[in-house]
Amino acid sequence: MRAAWLAVLSVLLAAGAIVAYVLLIRVPLVRNHPEGYVIAFAVALGLAVLGVMRGRGRRWPAWIAVGVTGALLLAGGWFNFVLARVPGTGAAVRVGAPAPDFTLPDAKGRPVSLAEFRGKKPVVLVFYRGYW
Amino acid sequence: MAELQGLGAELSEAEKAGVEIVAVSPDPNEQSHKMAEGLHLGYRFLADRDLAVSRRYGLVHPRGGPNGEDVPRPATLVLDRDGVVRWLSVSRNFQVRPDPGDVLRAVRAL
Repeated sequence: MRAAWLAVLSVLLAAGAIVAYVLLIRVPLVRNHPEGYVIAFAVALGLAVLGVMRGRGRRWPAWIAVGVTGALLLAGGWFNFVLARVPGTGAAVRVGAPAPDFTLPDAKGRPVSLAEFRGKKPVVLVFYRGYW
Repeated sequence: MAELQGLGAELSEAEKAGVEIVAVSPDPNEQSHKMAEGLHLGYRFLADRDLAVSRRYGLVHPRGGPNGEDVPRPATLVLDRDGVVRWLSVSRNFQVRPDPGDVLRAVRAL
């Protein structure tokens, strides 16, 4: 196979993985398997290396693909396996124990207590990092 | 935020009336308010500016924010009517959130 074609295939695979992850972020299967994009970058790098080592014709496009997909693999791997890793300190709450009560301001600034719902409604309590 | 949108999308109107979804983050109120209106989901967004509540729940990721600040660990808890934790999911990777379907099953099992 021509080295240039392998280079194009490699970069398309890496770019496709990014686009698919961004577009399908709301699909739990995609969001909850972020290692998927790291694997795609690794396969893309493999194709580019194949182009450099075994491809016919001009090799410089394959070298560029090695650079691009290699950088993506490093950055993606670092993000997913290092930066996004949350240290496993045990939560202070556990199943079967009462949730500690608290009072916090709502979006209009009115104080809301967890105790307000006791005896009335089940509560889904979601902690999240912020709007970003 | 994706998990909150997913949860709202899968709840029926009756279920929305029967369960209180409370979202806690260090977001300033103004931000949460804009988001609450944009989503039309009837959640309560509570501002835990200094992370005091997140800390009491043991749900702080130290220096985990984009600027090295402390942020909450993404976590979802299902509390029954007596305020007892019946289901709990704490993310080990901040990209990963519980499947809204799993949260709903926990709510329906109460």
